[in-house]
Amino acid sequence: MTVNRFWSWIFLVLGVLYFALPLVGTFEFSMKMRRGVYSLDAYEAVIFDPRFQETFTYSVMMALATIVVGVLLVVPTAYWVRLKLPAWRPVLEFVTLLPLVIPPIVIVFGYIRLYNTSSWLPLTGTAMGTNILLMFGYVVLALPYMYRAVDTGLRAIDVRTLTEAAQSLGAGWATIMWRVILPNVLVAVLSGAFLTFAIVIGEFVMAALLNRPAFGPYLQLIGANRAYEPAALAVIAFGITWGCMALIQVVSRFAPRPPAQPH
Amino acid sequence: MTDTFLSIRQVHKAFGTTVVVQEFNLDVRQGEFVSFLGPSGCGKTTMLRIVAGFEEPSSGSVFIGGKDVTRLKPNQRNIGMVFQAYALFPNMTVAQNIGFGLKVAGMPKAQMQARVGEMLELIKLQEFGGRYPYQLSGGQQQRVALARAMAGKPQVLLLDEPLSALDAKVRVSLREEIRAIQKELGITTIFVTHDQEEALSMSDRIVVMYNGRAEQVGTPFEIYNKPATRFVAGFVGTLNVLEGKVADAEQGIVRIGAEDVATGRALTGRRAGEPISLALRPEAISLGPKDGRASTAHGIIREVSFLGSVIRVRVALGDDVVSLDTFNNPATPPPVAGEKASISFSPEDVHLLDQ
Ligand SMILES: Nc1ncnc2c1ncn2[C@@H]1O[C@H](COP(=O)(O)OP(=O)(O)OP(=O)(O)O)[C@@H](O)[C@H]1O
Ligand SMILES: [Mg+2]
Repeated sequence: MTVNRFWSWIFLVLGVLYFALPLVGTFEFSMKMRRGVYSLDAYEAVIFDPRFQETFTYSVMMALATIVVGVLLVVPTAYWVRLKLPAWRPVLEFVTLLPLVIPPIVIVFGYIRLYNTSSWLPLTGTAMGTNILLMFGYVVLALPYMYRAVDTGLRAIDVRTLTEAAQSLGAGWATIMWRVILPNVLVAVLSGAFLTFAIVIGEFVMAALLNRPAFGPYLQLIGANRAYEPAALAVIAFGITWGCMALIQVVSRFAPRPPAQPH
Repeated sequence: MTDTFLSIRQVHKAFGTTVVVQEFNLDVRQGEFVSFLGPSGCGKTTMLRIVAGFEEPSSGSVFIGGKDVTRLKPNQRNIGMVFQAYALFPNMTVAQNIGFGLKVAGMPKAQMQARVGEMLELIKLQEFGGRYPYQLSGGQQQRVALARAMAGKPQVLLLDEPLSALDAKVRVSLREEIRAIQKELGITTIFVTHDQEEALSMSDRIVVMYNGRAEQVGTPFEIYNKPATRFVAGFVGTLNVLEGKVADAEQGIVRIGAEDVATGRALTGRRAGEPISLALRPEAISLGPKDGRASTAHGIIREVSFLGSVIRVRVALGDDVVSLDTFNNPATPPPVAGEKASISFSPEDVHLLDQ
C-alpha cells in the first residue's frame, strides 16, 4: 500500500515535470525580451501587433461560426439516431471518427479540387466562399469531439421517454428540441463548443492552404522570424486552451441533474 | 353501450412477423377506469401506445369522443400519459414540468400559474413547485408526472405501470390517490398493470390480456368470480384445479380420483369418460361439512400454514392438491398435516374449465 503510494507520487511528479517544464521554460524565456530583467515586453509587442488582432479576431469569428454550425448539425443528428435509428449509431460513430484518421491536409486538398474556381461550386473564387469552405473544414475537424460530447450528454437522459412525454403534452419537434433536448445536453454541447474553439484557434494546415488570415498561420509566421514573441504567443495560446478546459469544468457543475431512475 | 367515449375497433398490430395485438375490441365509457391486466409481453403496453399514438395499428381503428384518431400524431390527440420511468424533464422545476403542456398550448401566464397551483394542491405538493425532479422521491416524482399529464385536461389518461417502480407501501397509498383524483376529475382512464391486486382494487372494469388478445372484459367481481377462460381463472387469484372424468353428463357428476363429485349442472355436450377440469377458489372450499356446501370430497391434509387471521390448508385429493382458507379460531387448534379430512363446497362455485 505505502510502496504503491510512493510510486504513484513518483510518477505523478515525473508527469507534472514532463508537462510543466517546457511551459515554465517558455514562459520564463518569453519575459526576457528586455536585457537583464523580466518584463512583459514580448506580450506587449504581440498584443499590439495589428496582425495579431486581425488574425485573432478572424479565428474567433471562425470558431464561433464553426460552433453554431457544428451544434446545428450534430445535436439533431445524434438525437434522431438515438431515437429512431439506434442500429445506425455504430456507423455514425465511425463516420465521426474519420477526421481523426484522415489528415487535414488530405481533406483540404480534396476541398480545393472539389470547389476550385472551375468546379460546379466555385467556393474558392471569393473570400467569403473560402471562409465558408474553411468553416466547414473546421466543422469536420471538430466533429469527433462535438459528436462524442453530445452523444454522452444524450446518454445521460432517457431520450425516448422524454420525447414521448413531451409529445403526449402536445409538443412538436421544434419544441422538443429546443425546450427538452437541448437544455438537457447544454453542458455537453458547451464542452464540445470549447473544444471546438481550442481546435479552431490553433489550426494551421487548412487556413494556410486556403490562404486565409487566421491565427494559426500568423503563429507560424512569427515563430519563424522572431525570438521572444513566439514564446509569448505560445503562452497565450496555451492560456486560451486551458481557459476553455477550465470553462468546461465550470459549466459541467450547472448540468441539470437527472433524477434517480427507477430500476 | 350508449355513452362510449373511447372505442378500440378490431385493432391488430404486428412487428414484422410477430403478432403482438390481435382482434382487440373495447368500449370505454366517459369517466371510466379500465385496467389492462396480463403477464409480461402480452401486448398491454403496445395496445396503450396505439391509443396514445406512439404506434400505428397494422389494422383497426381508435375513436376518442366519436372521432377517428387512428392516424393522428400523439401531440394532436389531447391525451395524458404517465410512464413507469416517471419521465419528468430534468431541466425544469416541478411547476415548469406541470405547466409544460399548458405553455405549449399557449395558455396565458396568469391562468397557467393558477392551473399549476391547482394541480400541486391536488397532488398535495404545494411546497414543492420550485424543486427539481432530482430533489424528489420516486412517489413524489410520479405524482408530479400525474399532475403534468392531467394539467391540460386531456380527454383520456393513459398510465403504463406507473406504480411498479415504487416500493410496496408507496404503491398502495399512491394507487388510492390516483383513483381518488381520477374520480374527482372524472377523466376516462386506461391503466396498464401486471399486478392483479392493483387491477382488482382500482378498476371499474378489467381487460385481461393474453397473447395479444383480450381474454375477458368485465368488472373486478366478474373477472374474479366468473372467469371466462382457463387463463383468466388461473391468472387472477389463486385457483385450485381438479382434473377428473365425466361420470354422468346429465346429472353433472364428475369422477375425481375414486370419488364422484356433483357440479350441480348438466354437462351438455360432454360424453361420459371425457376428461374435465373443475376449478375452485380457496375461499369457496370449507374443511369438513358446512351448511350450503353440498358437494364433498375426501383426502389427506398435506400442509398447514398459519398466516395470522387465516390458516391456509393444503389437502391432497388423489393426484390433485387443493388450497383452502379457514379463519383462525383461538378456541380450536389448527388441523394437523397427515390427518384425513373432508372438504365441502357449493356446486355453484365450481367453474368448468375448457380443455
Ligand atoms: N418496437 C417493437 N419491435 C418489435 N417487437 C416489439 C416492439 N415493441 C414490443 N414488441 C414485442 O411485443 C410484445 C408485447 O410487448 P409489450 O411491451 O406490449 O408487452 P407488455 O404486455 O407491456 O409487457 P410488460 O408487462 O413486460 O411491460 C413483446 O413480445 C415485445 O417483445
Ligand atoms: Mg409494458
